Amino acid sequence: MAPEETGSMFLARIVGTAVATAKHPSLEGCRFLVARRLESDGSLAAEPNLVVDWMGAARGETVLISAAGDIARERLGNNTPARLVVAGLVDSVPTPESNV
Amino acid sequence: MRFGIVRGHLTLNPAIESFHARTLAIVEPVTMENLSARNGQGGGKALVAIDELGAAAGQLVAFTEGREAANPFWPASVPADAYIALIVDAVDVVQ
Repeated sequence: MAPEETGSMFLARIVGTAVATAKHPSLEGCRFLVARRLESDGSLAAEPNLVVDWMGAARGETVLISAAGDIARERLGNNTPARLVVAGLVDSVPTPESNV
Repeated sequence: MRFGIVRGHLTLNPAIESFHARTLAIVEPVTMENLSARNGQGGGKALVAIDELGAAAGQLVAFTEGREAANPFWPASVPADAYIALIVDAVDVVQ
């Protein structure tokens, strides 16, 4: 199963923004981004995810996504359906080349 | 949350008590290719999600899956596996 399904943290690339007027009340005022999970070979997952962002992540940036839902519940309340949250902006990811 | 296009709604009769008076939508997940192309196509495997926002057929939504899908009903226990959290007005994406 993919990390976004199991609740593990994963890396993703921000590819855009989303706007929604009709939403669960807990999501009022949230910033929504479109993110694609980064596979270990550097490719991007076929199905994009909508994530909640408080970090000010920009398009093209690599971010760490928390998929456990705890951050969302802490910030948005126990009733929130939100789960995928930008937990941090990635400075650098080691590649096999940079390790040698 | 994944993106999906609402394809229709379900009526259950009979249904388990916690699904009484709930709206269930059939949602087709959307791939990046189709989201960028805004072609109204999905591409993923269709699933059923609880809808409290009144999403109409053809509308683009984002739905949450797993344990969080039942959060909106907390502290009641509703066996929700997928929940439509928002109706997407617009996406601005590049591939």
